Amino acid sequence: MTSSASEAAASAVAATALPRRVPWHTRLARIEPASLVWLLLALVLLLLVAAPLGKLFLVSFEERGTGAFTLANYAAAYGRQRYLDALFNSLRLGLTSATIAVVLAVPMAWAVSRTDMPGKGLTWAAVLGAFVLPPYLGAVGWILLAGPNSGFINVAWRSLTGATAPLFNVYSFNGLAMVIALTAFPLVFIFVKSALDLVSSEMEDAANILGAGTWTTMRKVSLPLVWPAIIGGFIIVFLESIALFGTPAIIGIPARINVVTTQLWQFFEYPVRVEVAAAYAMPLLLITVAMIGVQKLLLARKGFVSQTGKGGERRPIKLGPFRWVMFAWCAGVGLLAVGLPLSVLLQASFAKAWGRGLAFDNLTLRNYRLLIFEHEMAMTSIWNTVWFSAVAATAAVAIALLVAYIVTRRLVPMGDVLGFMAMAPFVIPGIVMAIGFYAAYAGPPLSLYGTALLIILAFTARFLPIAYANAGAAIRAVHPEMEEAARILGSGRLRAISVITAPLVKKALLGGWLLVFIVASRELSAAIFLVGPRTRTMSVLLYDLSEAGNFEVLAAFGGLLLLVTMVFVVIGMKLVGRDFMLRRT
Amino acid sequence: MRTNRRFLIAGLSAAAIIRPRVAAAQELPPHERALHQAAQREGELTWYTGQLQAEPSEAVGRAFSERFPGVKVNVVRSTSQVAFQRLSQDMRARVAQCDVFSSVDYSHLTFLKREGRLMPYRPENAAGLAKGARDAGDTDGHFQITYLALYALGRRTDRVSEAEAPTSWRELTDPRWRDKLSVGHPGFSGAVGSWAIMMRKAYGEPFFRALERNKPQIGRSASDPVTVLNAGERVVGVAISGQSTLLSISRGNPLALIYPTDGTLMVPSPSGAMANAPRPNAARLFMEFMTSPAYSNTITSYYAESLRPEVPAPRGSRPLDSIPLITPTPEEVEKNIAEVKELWRDIFGV
Repeated sequence: MTSSASEAAASAVAATALPRRVPWHTRLARIEPASLVWLLLALVLLLLVAAPLGKLFLVSFEERGTGAFTLANYAAAYGRQRYLDALFNSLRLGLTSATIAVVLAVPMAWAVSRTDMPGKGLTWAAVLGAFVLPPYLGAVGWILLAGPNSGFINVAWRSLTGATAPLFNVYSFNGLAMVIALTAFPLVFIFVKSALDLVSSEMEDAANILGAGTWTTMRKVSLPLVWPAIIGGFIIVFLESIALFGTPAIIGIPARINVVTTQLWQFFEYPVRVEVAAAYAMPLLLITVAMIGVQKLLLARKGFVSQTGKGGERRPIKLGPFRWVMFAWCAGVGLLAVGLPLSVLLQASFAKAWGRGLAFDNLTLRNYRLLIFEHEMAMTSIWNTVWFSAVAATAAVAIALLVAYIVTRRLVPMGDVLGFMAMAPFVIPGIVMAIGFYAAYAGPPLSLYGTALLIILAFTARFLPIAYANAGAAIRAVHPEMEEAARILGSGRLRAISVITAPLVKKALLGGWLLVFIVASRELSAAIFLVGPRTRTMSVLLYDLSEAGNFEVLAAFGGLLLLVTMVFVVIGMKLVGRDFMLRRT
Repeated sequence: MRTNRRFLIAGLSAAAIIRPRVAAAQELPPHERALHQAAQREGELTWYTGQLQAEPSEAVGRAFSERFPGVKVNVVRSTSQVAFQRLSQDMRARVAQCDVFSSVDYSHLTFLKREGRLMPYRPENAAGLAKGARDAGDTDGHFQITYLALYALGRRTDRVSEAEAPTSWRELTDPRWRDKLSVGHPGFSGAVGSWAIMMRKAYGEPFFRALERNKPQIGRSASDPVTVLNAGERVVGVAISGQSTLLSISRGNPLALIYPTDGTLMVPSPSGAMANAPRPNAARLFMEFMTSPAYSNTITSYYAESLRPEVPAPRGSRPLDSIPLITPTPEEVEKNIAEVKELWRDIFGV
């Protein structure tokens, strides 16, 4: 019996029941206290997402200075081939990066979640490392590794084969897409792995009994069951890729690839053309709508419920010698995403002059000493980063959980709008989002410019989609039957949630919190236009250092950033329990 | 733990080395002493700067606080365009956060002055600036030159010998420099913008088309070529920041500066106190500091040019009167910068 049938039946009942409902005033009296929460939530989302975006939308039709209605901004934004090329490049980049990320991550997630592959802890460490590594730091590492002339990989390739052409040129479209995918694939991994963890072996056993081998089972049972997670991960990586600013600035400009974010930067040059930038950002919103539409279409009329509250044993699949192939795949991805870039960055951070390479007399602690003892801003920015990210992560997870619950359980008629609002921020390039926030909240009456609150709000809004996707997947996997049982026994909705649903999704939520914390701690594009003199974050300082002609200090500061994030991840793991990161048994 | 302590000791000894270089508080001239007392009540100031890189800018802030105890500097360092953008954002939001503003783009300060955003304050110390710096400042004293930025050619000493290295901008169009060059971007760096204006003036549009055929690696700031050269990705830096290059050389990187025969680009870069500075006395004091010998002492130790006749030029830099210099006028920058950026983007694609 598929759950979709029962769900469809339930919604059909709800639909037919509606006309016979009692009038409004009687219904008001029966309102649950929970409804107030939904109301509050709508207000919060309005402030966090709708207001800045609405402002942006309005501004796109305003004439600079006068505020009169005009379409000239759109003419200016799409009036040049170069601008259209940038839009096209971004789309292509997003699709390529997301595809690579899915190809990299899904086998890893399957191997870690379902099989007896060795070295799972190592794989986890690689995923975590890739996730903690800020994209722009990864980009710098990859420039050192795969610069066509100087990159270690290409130098080694040339000396081994005698070839003159580089093996892999990072300054190319594929180079850019690959580097982005290598920092973004953990999103897919975490989504798919958590979903696979919930699939019980019984379903696979059923396939096995009917004669399917391991591969057929994986292809026809395990993976299709986690389609929502795969598609969710693909979309998030796509959106993350087209919203990145740092990596395209570092790799795309030398590669002569103009994308939306670098083009937006041009619109923000003096004289700042926020209006044109706003007009230029609008198609991205349409793309989100389209993507979510496609997602709905792909997932429609299918059931993905795997957690039913009715037992469900999970056993690792025995891969035999093939487990080493899977291990090699995971190790390879880990090496490319973390091992290699991190090693070259570490080497640079301890080097007096990185141009001199690895030599004993080239080693120094001076770069770290400078940052820790002589650079006042460095320490302040570390503290800022930690507490901004922590507060934003908490807020985002709380909001996302509530929204996901409303949307999945169809509690209010316009629930999907809430879901859309929670999902929308991810496609707005951080820069544009920041300008939206700036336009809405920086000046009077709220005058939040230069305050920590403004950045925390922007971080919360920007990473709401991650928390939301996470919470949504978690809630979707909990069958309403369990809650319904509690409610039949007389419990209110809030109590049913806190006693039944919340414990079931607790681990997923903590995972979501860590995800948001980590991405917020490395977030650059939303921060760069909102920071004031006292609210600078590590990422902004890193970006400033990245064009300072001093990569030794940049690398050292990157090292500090990673250290700080790792400390928090370890604390989080300790609080949640080690089994959070590793497979539950 | 032991490492920590060693760290701490190393840090303290580094501070001890810097300390004797600046005058103690009691030796302050009377005008600085009066301002210092007023500034102490304000306690700090915020400095938006796009001039020196992060490390020397922080050092300037520390040197100021050592000379004027009790007044802290919040250094907000970025590229000039970003700094100006942040200031514009402050102004639009009507939030006054910045006390002193410094940029490599001269037109930023002329614009601010025109809009009445600068404090009409002529620092007393400005009278003692070197003639070139003094003359390039605002005639009404609203802003002063606080950085004589030089942009030249740079080479990897182990890959390009002095004999084979290019000696002029013009030579860069020679096909033998194909895939060898590294340059910043006029859309990000005000300095590269000024350089492009001067190149267009001297050699016209064909210069850029020929340069494009040599496929230079394009970065953002005028210091990016330093990184690209250090990595060994390219071997010749174009419009490379003299200060960053000399600093990098002093750390042991195999680089050398070449002063082109058709003119090293010199950009006199101004600073001014804001009219709505939330800490006006600290702002004035900081303007006094930036025109004082103590400031020149600090920045020359990071290989920026001295602004005062009594402070010697940094080690390894050529005396300015011994090399041919080119400098766009403020009007040229204001009039041409947008056009040159468009031209650049049309030709190079980014």
